[in-house]
Amino acid sequence: MHNVWILLRREYLERVRSRSFIIFTVLMPAIMAGSVLVPAKIAEMSSGGEKRIVIVANDPQLGAAVGHELGNSKTNSDPDVGQSELQPTLYTIQVDTDTSDAERDLLAQQVNEGKITGFLWLSDEALANHKVVYSTKEAADFDQSRELHNAIRTAVTRHRLAQKGMSGPELDSLLTPITLKTVRPEKGKPGASNTTIFVTAFAMVVLLYAVVMIYGLAVMRSVIEEKSTRIMEVLLSSATSKQLLAGKILGVGAVGLTQILVWVIFAGLFSVPGLLAAKSFLGEVHLSIFAVAAFAVFFLLGYLLYSAMYAAIGAMVNSDQEAQQVQWPAMMPIVIAVFLMSAVIQHPNSAMAFWLSIVPFFAPILMLVRVLIETPPLWQIALCIALMLATIYGLLVLSSRIYRVGILMYGKRPTLPELRRWLKYAG
Amino acid sequence: MAEAVELRGIRKTYDHFVAVDRLSLNIREGSVYGLLGPNGAGKTSTIRMMIGITMPDEGEVRLFGEPFHREQLDRIGYLPEERGLYKKMKVLDHLIFLGRLHNLSEHDARKRSLDWCERLQIADWEQKKVEELSKGMQQKIQFIATLLHDPALVIMDEPFAGLDPANSVMLKDVLIELKRAGKTILFSTHRMDQVERLCDSICLIDHGRAILEGDLKKIKSSYGKNHVQMQYEGDPHLDGCELLESLNNYGNYVEARLKPGADAQQLLRMTAERARISRFELLEPSLEEIFIDRVGKNA
Repeated sequence: MHNVWILLRREYLERVRSRSFIIFTVLMPAIMAGSVLVPAKIAEMSSGGEKRIVIVANDPQLGAAVGHELGNSKTNSDPDVGQSELQPTLYTIQVDTDTSDAERDLLAQQVNEGKITGFLWLSDEALANHKVVYSTKEAADFDQSRELHNAIRTAVTRHRLAQKGMSGPELDSLLTPITLKTVRPEKGKPGASNTTIFVTAFAMVVLLYAVVMIYGLAVMRSVIEEKSTRIMEVLLSSATSKQLLAGKILGVGAVGLTQILVWVIFAGLFSVPGLLAAKSFLGEVHLSIFAVAAFAVFFLLGYLLYSAMYAAIGAMVNSDQEAQQVQWPAMMPIVIAVFLMSAVIQHPNSAMAFWLSIVPFFAPILMLVRVLIETPPLWQIALCIALMLATIYGLLVLSSRIYRVGILMYGKRPTLPELRRWLKYAG
Repeated sequence: MAEAVELRGIRKTYDHFVAVDRLSLNIREGSVYGLLGPNGAGKTSTIRMMIGITMPDEGEVRLFGEPFHREQLDRIGYLPEERGLYKKMKVLDHLIFLGRLHNLSEHDARKRSLDWCERLQIADWEQKKVEELSKGMQQKIQFIATLLHDPALVIMDEPFAGLDPANSVMLKDVLIELKRAGKTILFSTHRMDQVERLCDSICLIDHGRAILEGDLKKIKSSYGKNHVQMQYEGDPHLDGCELLESLNNYGNYVEARLKPGADAQQLLRMTAERARISRFELLEPSLEEIFIDRVGKNA
């Protein structure tokens, strides 16, 4: 135990002190925050500002109605999308009753000269054909064309109904849009909407995938380094190969946990402005203590499982280049798991999701997704963790055997039959 | 005197390759022992089994009079043939790390590292990273790491390989000092000439088998003084001489080996009749010659 502690401590301190660790630890949240903040900022910038729109209609009342609807459009938007943080577009509306071709050419010229943002051709003829044209130089974004479309539809419907003799209040109640809000029942509490849960789950799983891969590969590279610098045999004169393996895996794992902890603290400090900006299109980011705990547990288990394999691969090869040729068996399962993720997200309680998620190699991704989306029965989680622990134990036994022989072998990479013989060596 | 190392019929096979074949040897405490043989003879495999890096398939390893157990490793300093250091670590941190693996306290490891660095004149480099050091300096660090915990048994696998001349002398001096302090030293090398002068006892191994083991002086004297070095003027006509088994003629100087039972005095008389002899010396064979002789007989 004493040796494991000394080896672990060296591994940990050397890594945490290294420049690359510090850069990565700081850069990652910066990139994450940037990827959330920058689009939010851009959305804010592009949605703000003034738009001058000319509405050409034979009936000035209809033109005014469309303009009115456009001005009100924000208040009608889907509350779930939560756009309240964005600056509403200011529309300056001008109604024009001249539907001649000459006027059309004139307006087109004004659009080209940038005097107006665009014009809407709402002539009686266009209405009769159910075809309205909006001319603008700007590439209309999705939000804006939806706004225009809604405004025209509402105004035209209201206009036509009014022509059929309906009055104001009657019309208002008839045209009040129905909103749809998706919630998940969580022990009586009103939960967050499913969209945000999906987004959160997806982000956490991608993060887990990234850290498991990064630290699994770090174990492999570090074993290769110890082989290629030939320090292994010096260490073996006082520590066993099992102690070396344990110290390595635990030390690198502790670095991973430290990094995650730093990020969680970062996120905590950052969440006030960051999440506010993110909220504008993610809605509320939903993170329970349970989810964080599940993340930590599956990170640890997933890391142990994959790093055991990576350590064995590191012991088998002599260089990073060689490692790239043989690391795919260790990489494959977790990549497959990420592919399967969307299927499991859609049907988290299906039999397929259950069977896939208890496969130890997939579990860090798929069981975590299920836990985050739709807490599965406790026995399933327990079964999954038990299977993982058993697999980790088995892999560690196999890996330590490969490791023990491999770290003393320089030169040729072993073939499969040779590898099988390595497993049988007594010591 | 007690035995520092006792190997009893150890054997190690890898697949069908026999690395070490029922090897037995004894290393007295306080002696300098040479494990000699050509490359691939099984020297490193033997050492690895001696210190528990690998386990023998058969046979027994005893250290300091007891069956091998891992606590004994704290009394052993091992300098492997394949040796290296963590390149990114600072020299002092690295030495402390290796010292602590040999059960030194942090404080002791630091103090001893500083003393050794002072002694080997690398004190200015303690806070530098290993990769900034020259190869010669890294070699010094490796010696310090081997000796830091004041081991009773020092095992060095090809210690002189790759050493620059200054470090060779330094290592030799340190080793002689260790010997005076009563430590047991085990060398393994294929360069027999290098250790001949340092060793008390040797074991010659080839193909994993001991072909000669014991006290170096006794081994040599058992071969007798059958080597002749001669310096002369004139031509003694030694080619084809029936007393000699082999001959190396340099013109005014020859090295020759006598046939078994041949009389050196007869050779001297015979030569003196034909040439003026300025030097005539009878010698013991070198280790290398003994080795070649033995391997030839076994083959």
